[in-house]
Amino acid sequence: MSNTKRYTFTGDSSNHPPDNHPDSPGEAEPYLADLELIEAVNLAIYLRRPLLLEGEAGCGKTRLASAVAYELGLPLYRWNIRSDTKALEGQYTYDAILRLYDAQTRQFDINSTRDPSDVQAYCKLGAIGKSFELSDRPAVVLIDEIDKADLDFPNDLLTVLDRPWSFSIPETNRTIQATLGNEPIVIVTSNKEKGNLPAPFLRRCVYHFVKFPDDPEKLQEIVEQHYRDRDAKAQPKASLVKEASKRFLEARKAKSWVKTPGTSEFLDWVEALQNFTAKPYLLEKLKSEELLPYRDLLFKLRVDWQQSGKKA
Amino acid sequence: MSEFLPKPIVLQLFQQLRGKGFKLGVNEYLAALDAIDGGFGASDLANLRQMLCMLWCHSPEEQRRFAMIFMGIFQKPQPIEQFKSNDSFVEQAEINSPSTNLDPLLPTQHLAETLPEKSPELEFSALPCQSPLQLVDGEELPELYTYHPLSRRSMSYAWRFLSRAVASGVPDVLNVSATVEKAARQGFFLAPVYQRRRMNQAKVMILVDRGGSMTPLHRFTRDFVETALLPGVFPEDSVLVGYFHNFPTDYLYGDERLTVPIKTVDLLAECDAETSVLIVSDAGAARGFRRMERIRKTTDFLVKLKRQSSLICWLNPMPIERWQSSSAEVIAYLVQMEQMNADGLGNAIDVVRGQVVDGGGQRAA
Repeated sequence: MSNTKRYTFTGDSSNHPPDNHPDSPGEAEPYLADLELIEAVNLAIYLRRPLLLEGEAGCGKTRLASAVAYELGLPLYRWNIRSDTKALEGQYTYDAILRLYDAQTRQFDINSTRDPSDVQAYCKLGAIGKSFELSDRPAVVLIDEIDKADLDFPNDLLTVLDRPWSFSIPETNRTIQATLGNEPIVIVTSNKEKGNLPAPFLRRCVYHFVKFPDDPEKLQEIVEQHYRDRDAKAQPKASLVKEASKRFLEARKAKSWVKTPGTSEFLDWVEALQNFTAKPYLLEKLKSEELLPYRDLLFKLRVDWQQSGKKA
Repeated sequence: MSEFLPKPIVLQLFQQLRGKGFKLGVNEYLAALDAIDGGFGASDLANLRQMLCMLWCHSPEEQRRFAMIFMGIFQKPQPIEQFKSNDSFVEQAEINSPSTNLDPLLPTQHLAETLPEKSPELEFSALPCQSPLQLVDGEELPELYTYHPLSRRSMSYAWRFLSRAVASGVPDVLNVSATVEKAARQGFFLAPVYQRRRMNQAKVMILVDRGGSMTPLHRFTRDFVETALLPGVFPEDSVLVGYFHNFPTDYLYGDERLTVPIKTVDLLAECDAETSVLIVSDAGAARGFRRMERIRKTTDFLVKLKRQSSLICWLNPMPIERWQSSSAEVIAYLVQMEQMNADGLGNAIDVVRGQVVDGGGQRAA
């Protein structure tokens, strides 16, 4: 790996290179990564092992991929996993029906740009496929919510995301292989909704558990990062954020919620406090009120919502 | 400490961790060496630990165990103050446990505090109909980490092997090769050949022993039933579940808490020759007694059950060494008994699957 460029993530979006890839995120992703997470990202990049992120919902697992891709100027290919996603879809999809249709209607539809005799036109690469095709730089592949997929899904992925980093497409008789040093940087998120991931898959991964920042100062820093690129009027005052963080953390700890609000709920809430009405929410009011304002943003389950409405 | 040599430490740790049941292969060892060559974890001990923790541990629980094993090895050669100073991991691991799992007693405490004051609507507030699934493995302490015969995942897998695909319903799947063949034989194409859709027709009856000596194993039996009832595993209404205490009598129960009685004959009536029956019970092996009453009642039930189906297997969560000289030993002569671990469950599924003759491609209309 000596002749290839070594990528290092620092958590500072101002390191964004000028020659970024067109598929790279266009806007900076405000993200506050702690040192341990940065180390984990770099280890995963260096070893080219998938980085598995677990943690509460709304803790910024998914956002990390954008932050990494933006800072390194690399393309980001996101693959959202659903319950019926097949591992092959990440590599490629082949649309036989469309090809048959084009072949049948060719004489009527002269405007069609697709040529049924060209099999390549019907073969579309998925997130992993696209990342293997790049020859000048690696790509960041985000496999989001892997736990939603079928039981065997992670194991099916294993063979692709390992040496020799290649797969073949029988329909077009083509083999796609990642070039040496440009193997994709894979970030996998999971929140263990359906169960544990299989052991062989786990063994391959670099693991990091994303913690909720249980510290008002950290929360404030996150808010600062988040509003850094917004105009001054939209930015909440430090005193308001301070009080909001305090009340939010208190609320998080006060009761046992079924679904505890996370960082993303907190940011939504701060945004509402600041910009929902013409003037920001009054600090004194936030301090003195017993019930949290805009609690509809924080509690998304009926039980939690009702519980949040009760005075302590 | 002029030169820090991480590689020998990695080997020592790797062997220790493997011995302690961490699932690591040679590739993971090589990856660690590779990472050290790349400058990760090469500066000092804390740095190395952080790197190995990310690479080798795959849950907060494993990270905690790793930290403990690491401490155990390196506490002596390192002066303790120095070790503590650059060591924030153990403390972090404690903070780490998500505050959602604070204390199951907490909500009731709140209720008790608030009730005398005001808000009568408290009594009518809705209760969560299902508590969120929290996988136990994340919150367990290593001291409690004793008996782990089967993971939820391997249960899900096992159920998959029990599927009995039978072509049924209206023929609506186009059989291309049969159509071509027929057209070729006839010399002209008349109509496409359809075949019936193959569907999972497996029927399963699960009988679970609850309470008493089975109490410590409730987690497994609950997982066992839950994984079978997950949507998509078996067709709807084809999983019958009955609960009993110690041995089945004239009544079984429809719920875990043994409050909804069902007549045993009624449940057996729903069981036909194709129904796979799995009985989960320690059969007296947990306490090691051999009681005539238990054996007699169980025999009674098994005789009745065998009239309905011969696809019966008994899953015993106790290890096989414990069956000897208890009621389990006798019952094991009456019915196939398997230990409830990965191998045993696999065998049990084979037993209750019977010899299925698969029609294969001959079901074309």
